[in-house]
Amino acid sequence: MTSALIDAQSVYKTFDTRHGELCALQDFSLKIHEGEVVCMVGASGCGKSTFLNIMAGFITPSSGRILLDGREITSIEPRCGMIFQDYALFPWLTVRDNVAFGPRMKGAGVKQRHRQAQRWIDMVGLKGFEDAYPGELSGGMQQRVALSRALANEPDVLLCDEPFAALDAMTRQIMQQELLKIVQESGKTVLFITHSIDEALILSDRLIVMSARPGRVKAVYDNDLPRPRMLDVQITRRFLELKREVWDLVQEEVMGSLTD
Amino acid sequence: MIDRTLGLWQTIVIGAAGLLVFLGGWESLVRLGVIDPYFLPAPSQVVTRMVSLASGPEAVLLDDIVVSATRVMTGFVLSTLVGVPVGLVMGMSSLVRAALNPIISIIRPLPALSWIPLSMLWLGIDEQQKYAIVFMGCFASVLVYTTDATMRVSNTLILAARNLGASRLQVIRLVVLPGALQDILSGLKVVLAIAWTCVISAEMVGANSGLGFRIWTAKEWSDTGQVLVGMLSISLTVLILDIMFRGLERLLMPWQRTGRNA
Repeated sequence: MTSALIDAQSVYKTFDTRHGELCALQDFSLKIHEGEVVCMVGASGCGKSTFLNIMAGFITPSSGRILLDGREITSIEPRCGMIFQDYALFPWLTVRDNVAFGPRMKGAGVKQRHRQAQRWIDMVGLKGFEDAYPGELSGGMQQRVALSRALANEPDVLLCDEPFAALDAMTRQIMQQELLKIVQESGKTVLFITHSIDEALILSDRLIVMSARPGRVKAVYDNDLPRPRMLDVQITRRFLELKREVWDLVQEEVMGSLTD
Repeated sequence: MIDRTLGLWQTIVIGAAGLLVFLGGWESLVRLGVIDPYFLPAPSQVVTRMVSLASGPEAVLLDDIVVSATRVMTGFVLSTLVGVPVGLVMGMSSLVRAALNPIISIIRPLPALSWIPLSMLWLGIDEQQKYAIVFMGCFASVLVYTTDATMRVSNTLILAARNLGASRLQVIRLVVLPGALQDILSGLKVVLAIAWTCVISAEMVGANSGLGFRIWTAKEWSDTGQVLVGMLSISLTVLILDIMFRGLERLLMPWQRTGRNA
């Protein structure tokens, strides 16, 4: 492989809180190559969301830097499309206009942006719901809209902040399947944060276990589960072996963070 | 306890029944002589007085309603035109908020009535003086409602828009304004009621037309029937304006109409 698409170099982030300084990320370095799907797992408060927010340019690191395609991320970065846990759809826009928001910001005319939106709406299986408002849709459908909205903006990287955490177990599995399909078809680079080891194993090429606060890379696994992958990968022997390994590590960290 | 919600017609029928019992009780208390009609005329007498004020040689009621409503709407719209944009900016910028908050804290607690002496000195008892009273009575409230509504807009939505490439100006126009719209309109509904109290007070103190003036002069003549007609007219006018306002809300916020969680 050539040089990395994402190159996080020794990122530190501290927050000032009422109880003094809180170190969320400590000497955090990570390289992600184009087309790679990387999942980060770790206990709550391990700094994984902080890292994602720095990548999106929502917050700036205290020191260190993140390069995206060789350029340092210094402000809000539309090349990193964000999928939020609570969908963050605009309630006053229809599905079509939500998805067309990115193209609209780029100056696309009504016809052009609606055509672009339609492609992604079809891809996530929401044909027929173009004129619905987000409030009329189920959680799973809303997250599909959020996914197609991010994709319609044609980002280089898809950042996912526990996007399926609020969904019920069945819907969650369907959405994982959907994301697998889209990622495999589009070859998008994805950085995906989750609490769920299963989810991380199903989706990732590489899996990063974070240490409890302050967040550092505790371990990196190359996920050698075969691709193209379907959900039934979950019942293979290799999946269970990997799950056991990761689980032992994560459990250590969770226990550690509880006894702090 | 589970409160069963009623259908539209049930609600109307039960509401009408409640009103009839109330009016019937009042009417019989006057007819039985328990209440002296000099202090409180019966509903039937109020209706008769209303008809005579609305038609015939001294038909002033409709003019009064139009005059008062015009004053209300002019002052209200003026305060909205100034208050909403300034409130949006205050909600977005802590700097502007810090600068303006002390001034608003001084103006806001002042009742509209307290502006009457100064405004009469400056503007006489012309229409402008009525508009000014309404404006001063409403402006600070519009500002505070808009600021609060703006600050309640979800930060995640703003980040999402920025993430999709929106500039700061586009965020205000495309996210903050529609996001705050519902709360702003609820605030404006309250302010509209405040605007009415402003106008009625102003008309009672210095005016020669309008519902406030009509109520006040009726009291001088001990015409309690006319006082009640004036009061009832205020209720009815506010009710109609409220219905119109709701129509406006539905027009401006179509996503609220169909929303599952609306």
